[in-house]
Amino acid sequence: MPRPEQTIVKLTIDGREVEAIAGTMLVDAAKQVDVEIPYFCYEPKLGEPVGACRMCLVEIEGIPKLQTSCSTPVREGMVVNTTVDRVLEAQNSVIEFLLVNHPLDCPVCDKGGECPLQDYTFGWGRGKSRVIEPKRHFVKPLALSPLIAIDRERCILCYRCVRFSQEVAEDWQLIFTERGAHTFVGTHDGHPYVAPFSGNIVELCPVGALTSQPYRFRARPWDIEGAGGICTLCPSQCNVEFTVRDDKVVRVLSRENSAVDDGWLCDKGRFAYQAIHVDERITEPLVRGESGELESASWEAALGAARAIAGHRGRGAALVGGQATNEEAYLLGRIVREGLQSHDIDSRLSGTVELGLTRALAAPALQATVADLEFAHTVLVLGTEPVDDSPILDLRIRKGVRRNGVKLAIASARPSTLDPNATLSLRYAPGSEAEFLAGLDAALSGTAASDEFGALATLLKDGGEDVVILWGESLPAQALPTLLSIAGKLGLTDRDGAGLLEVPNGTNARGIREAGALPNAGPGYSEVQAGRNAAEIAAALTAGDVTVLYLFQVDPLRDLPARASWDAALGKAAVVVAHASVLTEGLARHADVVFPAESSAEKEGTIVHPDGRLQRLRAAIKHPGEVRASWQVLVDIAKATGVETGILTAGMAFQQLTKAVPFYAGLTLEAIGGRGLRWPETDAAAEMPAGAAPAPAKVQATEPAPEGKLLLGTYRSIWASTEVEISPALAFTIAEQLVELAPQDAIALGIEHGAAVQVAQNGTRLAGRAAIRTGVPAGTAFLAAGIAENSANALTESIVEVVKA
Amino acid sequence: MPYEPGPDVIEVMRHPAKGPAMSTLRVFGETLRGMKTTLARVAEGPLTIQYPEEKTPVYPRFRGRHKLHKFEDTGLEKCVGCSLCAAACPSDCIRVVAAENTPDNRVSAGERYAAVYEINLSRCIFCGYCEVACPFDAITMGHDYELSDYTRSDLIFTKEMLLAEPLERTPLRTEGE
Repeated sequence: MPRPEQTIVKLTIDGREVEAIAGTMLVDAAKQVDVEIPYFCYEPKLGEPVGACRMCLVEIEGIPKLQTSCSTPVREGMVVNTTVDRVLEAQNSVIEFLLVNHPLDCPVCDKGGECPLQDYTFGWGRGKSRVIEPKRHFVKPLALSPLIAIDRERCILCYRCVRFSQEVAEDWQLIFTERGAHTFVGTHDGHPYVAPFSGNIVELCPVGALTSQPYRFRARPWDIEGAGGICTLCPSQCNVEFTVRDDKVVRVLSRENSAVDDGWLCDKGRFAYQAIHVDERITEPLVRGESGELESASWEAALGAARAIAGHRGRGAALVGGQATNEEAYLLGRIVREGLQSHDIDSRLSGTVELGLTRALAAPALQATVADLEFAHTVLVLGTEPVDDSPILDLRIRKGVRRNGVKLAIASARPSTLDPNATLSLRYAPGSEAEFLAGLDAALSGTAASDEFGALATLLKDGGEDVVILWGESLPAQALPTLLSIAGKLGLTDRDGAGLLEVPNGTNARGIREAGALPNAGPGYSEVQAGRNAAEIAAALTAGDVTVLYLFQVDPLRDLPARASWDAALGKAAVVVAHASVLTEGLARHADVVFPAESSAEKEGTIVHPDGRLQRLRAAIKHPGEVRASWQVLVDIAKATGVETGILTAGMAFQQLTKAVPFYAGLTLEAIGGRGLRWPETDAAAEMPAGAAPAPAKVQATEPAPEGKLLLGTYRSIWASTEVEISPALAFTIAEQLVELAPQDAIALGIEHGAAVQVAQNGTRLAGRAAIRTGVPAGTAFLAAGIAENSANALTESIVEVVKA
Repeated sequence: MPYEPGPDVIEVMRHPAKGPAMSTLRVFGETLRGMKTTLARVAEGPLTIQYPEEKTPVYPRFRGRHKLHKFEDTGLEKCVGCSLCAAACPSDCIRVVAAENTPDNRVSAGERYAAVYEINLSRCIFCGYCEVACPFDAITMGHDYELSDYTRSDLIFTKEMLLAEPLERTPLRTEGE
């Protein structure tokens, strides 16, 4: 639904004139004129108020009884009093009642010092209790999950966590059990509350009932400093606040930015900060010594070894991982193109897209924003699983469906967790994305090949003009012209509140592309001599045409398809230089020089959100160990290859980038600030080169798998990342190979849920565990990619055989 | 111009009239007066305290070096590592790092305990706010004032040093003293 119109009403609060938007609750209107009304349960992010805590009672003239200001919307001419005796008496009493059972163990409690109950008791409480009876006692503390500790004595039953679980994350796990004074929060059968967004309830809890296990007793509010930053673990790029004590990140909180994250964080973003301070992290340069092992070395030695790439002019290549900043990608482009006089640089590791098409898909007029997901008439999720690929968008879509009546359509190969919320969800066979889109395109022109296509076309065309298509980077390049054609038919160009929103595979994929790390595009999608893409680089390495490979926070054996051919290709390379924070398999085996990579809490730079929002990374802590700023290392390497960048600071790198990318012109770090700035909304956006979409190609129908074999689809779990693997708190989530099968296939193959299976193809065998999901279409199997062991990228063909182990 | 005091000013005679005999008398008289004070003190005996062999006793509420306390019955530390002392400290000389008690390693009575408790005594101003802030009476100001050392780092007192029974080096002033 489009954003509602806003009307202004006037009212009086404590004698002060307030102008508020109609529909605002009294507490929020009071905040506008600096009248503080205490409350525990009210939280606008959670949706409708419940009025459970009774702390926000106020007197409204004309209404005999006190009213809860959190659930009373403003009305024209209302006169509200918040400081009359009647109200103060009520507030006193509420505090007194809450403290009947709330233990006074503030010195031990982790919330102490940042606790609303403490503050309100001090500000609005009586200071004395008349209750002398013993307090209610529970066993404490208990682990609600490996990440969250629950102290049921401290709970004031405000319903925030339960509402989050039921109305925001919609995992329906948390409930109140028992009644009266014995009520406590828990799960239905006492199982641990494990969910992708569970950590948010820690931040929501207004008392110390739910506390973070990794942060347990780590610091007090006066021991710490907050430093704003951006989480760079997925393309959602949520705004976070790093809690820093003694130059170490000890906690991550959300820093609400409604245009990006809506104030929520996923558990990966909230707890994988631990990867910054663990022994597994590389904190000093490594150089392959004479023994053939990587050994720690001085920076001089490592830079000296890396300078060897200068001797391979014309035969160098670079792969840029998703966590690189724009500046780093730009510098890498210069090293490859100017220094090594090569053209082989790639960051779109799932396949290259023609330059004209890339430009057309990134055109400012066609971009939807994250907030548009919430206010569109219809959202089509195409070939992506938001909870895995960009988790925070999952919550945004749920919010739109639940609160604004957005109609959701899902088209994907793998069953989605959003299916229950969708008006329509369609499945296509893995690998037949282009075929599916061609069918949808035809249906939009009026020739629907099947009822499903007809229903989807009707929903998109007649459901309202504002349509947002959230599409995944893993859609094959040949499907993309059709996607543009569909967008054109739906009239998404130049329409506010509608458009395309890409979910790329890498965090900063969009910024890296704009900075010129593509084989066929320079900075600002400019035309350059075409080079090799990732797959061609592997072939060229094997053939000896490319001898030097620069890996920037990417491990081909881990992140790229065709693992075996990469293994061979890397073995042939003369010099492999890598930036990495964890020594993954490919680097341990093949890298000659490994520079320690920075974490997002240490970095200075800019990144671009998939909707075109430039965001700024700021250093929250000093570099641990010997880690150096990556831009600085790249500048040194550039110098060795004969490129004088003249860059002395991270800010200068950004300035050079704004000069090189025409549509970044005029952007400054100050203007980007803490909230980010969407370049498609700036005047310079007109400088974006116009795209040219090729005509959709004829697509071949995908053959179903032969008898006894299955079509292979892959997915990348939210937990499939090296940062999660080395974070002790998240050790319980580490993704293993789960082979998702349809029940029919499982029965036919005689495989039970949870049984050990082997996935075979051309002599490659992967071990995994079977997971039978009813939503999986018959004849397909989904395997996890991006995991440490038995990753699906070892398989190269689209047909697999699944057998019992 | 010379100063003319005028008729209101009277000249007062403050010494014996001038002359040899009177001068002798005056000097002898003054010497006797001095000797009276001196001889009176001789009778009183010496007042010098022979520090460090002898020490000035302190009042009971004297604020000297801090002490951390344990429960006498259970032997558990009273400190739960709440850091309120660090929050109250105006010179920012207290550092507390808390940790969780486990059944195998129970250090304090509450859920948490101070894994690190350090006071930088070279920075402390002995104001006693930490003692006031402590909700468990775990830290009190002791009577020890002999805190000099050869290196600054030796003046950072750790939890073990603060918990240890202090050498009773400082006498306490008794009642009526």
